Amino acid sequence: MRALGGHQACFPYLLLMPALVVTLAIVGWPLVETVRLSFTDAALKPTENYVGFANYAKIFNGSFPSVIARTFVWMTTSVGLKIAIGTAAATLLNASVPGRNVIRVLVMPPWIVPIAIGVFMWSWLYNGQFGMISGLGQRFGLLSGPFEFLAFKDAAFLATIVTDVWIGTPMVALYLLAAMQSIPADLHEAAWCDGAGRFYRFRRVTLPLIMPSIATMTLLSAIWTFNSFDIIWILTEGGPRDATTTMIIDTFKTAISRNRYGEGAARAVMIVIFLSLFSGVYFYLLARLARRAIRAGGER
Amino acid sequence: MNFRQKQREETVKYLTTMTVLMALGVAFSFVQTTTTRAETATLHMIVCGDYEWGGEAAERHIGKWEAANPSYSVELEYVPWGQCQEKSKTLAAAGKPPALAYMGSRTLKQLAQNDLIVPIAMSDEEKASYAAPILATVTANGQVWGAPRAFSTKALFWNKDLFAAAGLDPETPPKTWDEMYTFASTVKEKTDADGFGLSAASFNNTMHQFMNYVYTNGGEVIDADGEIVFNSPNNVEALTFYGKMAEVSEPGPIAYDRDKLHPLFNEAKIAMMITGPWARAEITDVNWDVAPIPVGPRGRPSTLLITDSLAVFKGSGMEDAAGDLARFLTSPDNQFEFEKSAGLTPLRNVAGVADLRKEDPSWGAFLDAVETGGPEPFVTDYVALEDAIIEAVQGVLLGEVKPADAIAEAARRLEEVK
Repeated sequence: MRALGGHQACFPYLLLMPALVVTLAIVGWPLVETVRLSFTDAALKPTENYVGFANYAKIFNGSFPSVIARTFVWMTTSVGLKIAIGTAAATLLNASVPGRNVIRVLVMPPWIVPIAIGVFMWSWLYNGQFGMISGLGQRFGLLSGPFEFLAFKDAAFLATIVTDVWIGTPMVALYLLAAMQSIPADLHEAAWCDGAGRFYRFRRVTLPLIMPSIATMTLLSAIWTFNSFDIIWILTEGGPRDATTTMIIDTFKTAISRNRYGEGAARAVMIVIFLSLFSGVYFYLLARLARRAIRAGGER
Repeated sequence: MNFRQKQREETVKYLTTMTVLMALGVAFSFVQTTTTRAETATLHMIVCGDYEWGGEAAERHIGKWEAANPSYSVELEYVPWGQCQEKSKTLAAAGKPPALAYMGSRTLKQLAQNDLIVPIAMSDEEKASYAAPILATVTANGQVWGAPRAFSTKALFWNKDLFAAAGLDPETPPKTWDEMYTFASTVKEKTDADGFGLSAASFNNTMHQFMNYVYTNGGEVIDADGEIVFNSPNNVEALTFYGKMAEVSEPGPIAYDRDKLHPLFNEAKIAMMITGPWARAEITDVNWDVAPIPVGPRGRPSTLLITDSLAVFKGSGMEDAAGDLARFLTSPDNQFEFEKSAGLTPLRNVAGVADLRKEDPSWGAFLDAVETGGPEPFVTDYVALEDAIIEAVQGVLLGEVKPADAIAEAARRLEEVK
């Protein structure tokens, strides 16, 4: 029996082995290799030399700190808008209106359409000569002539955020909608019987109960947005004059466009550190929410 | 047998099956590879773009070369323009280079310096078949590092109807920068269109566009001794004029790369633009003609000469065969056939070029400036070169920096990559 017990103890790990090997091969090894490269002067040349922390010193003496700051502004603005609009959209989609299933389907396209196609569509919308936004602005007297949204630093920065929000909001809305639908109807009914109005019910019943979902989605969205590459690259390639260059764009330019693999790897390591911090917060919050749920179950 | 034993037995079966299947897969691919190797050697060639871009002629020529070299089979891989050169460089840096790849000639010096490509063994006769400025685009340290494959020059397109509507002579294009500004200003003032199409996007052809002004004003980036001479009065004047043209151009030129100007020209929203010969096929809706690029106060007729080349990568084990294929594909007759198929400016003045001029006189503006044209600057980090020049252009257009300061800063950055 004891021998069998020993086998049984090993058995789950045996089953996990294929997944573990694959994960180590496609995640662990590249990560270790990236860290190793970040301490070298790897470039196009066939040989590479150990340079210690020179790459890190170089990036922090250059424009990288401002790139980090820009990335955080870009991410927090975009995620904030996605959560706010997504929550409002989920509330509307949860309302008892005729044809709401059709409306729920109609929310999906920004998320379903391949990102590159969606972003190309936006690049034409932002065009001053042919784009609808500039056209409507002129028709309603808001603009005196064609306005190129991607030609000016602030406008381009906002344009990339708007596009990211357009693509990312449906996911947030549907996730929060699912959370709202899991709230027992009798809680709302009880509040209604006690005279609570629509806004009060949202604030005191809906919002507290979906807060764990909002927290989860905020952190996941922050990770995805932090790493968002295609939207900025297709719209502006990081310009004008680096106004939309975030950490991931800067890393791509350094490592791939300029073939400075060592310096690029140092930037990539910085991204991994930031994302690890986000992930740490995410798991901490998950654990805390789970503990709270268990406590609440016990009290009940 | 209890449930746990049954479960374990099934799992062992599953793992065994997976292992056997994986082993079979590896064995099959090994057998297939060795079989192929025994028959012919596969020569991996990366080409930018797609079949539509001269592919018919190129593949026919490759077929002829394979027939003459039966021990080789060319594996042709088309890669989209945006990723093409990065892919070849990354493969080379990873130790798995393509045997032959289409590369912008501006990258050759960097690739050679990093020992990733080998020189093309070109005879004196072959070298003499190219105009000197064209050969200069692929020559560094006395060696030819690529076989020129695609070539372009630029010229000024103008819309005759818009000129007429503005009261200008529709048959007379501007010949100097001053005339170009005045004509553009007149069009902007007297019609609904903008006078000129200016590009300044964060894209490499912004650097190319600006170089046309550098060369038509007698400027340079690097001199014959390899020294950076970008910080010159000629280039400050060129950048000042580039900024001035924004006054009479479409709003927000930073949103436009060169090719995005073509729809504006085709919709008669701009009266003039500087671009390559391929635009002629795209402009179908307006009455246009084409002339040499107007000349700056310190310069002479010129244009930026851009070549892309076939580069032989080191380490494929078939460098000689790849070099032979490159020379075969770019031999005068094959090259001209490819150029006609792809709509490119002819690299050499072969017999067919005279016929081309007769058939389509608009070729004249693109061909006449070749002898006095200037090459793309040859540096060890061309992306850094592009970034430095594009930032200078954008800085001036956004009003953030004066032309003289922008040129000085760009020159300082270029010193690091010469």
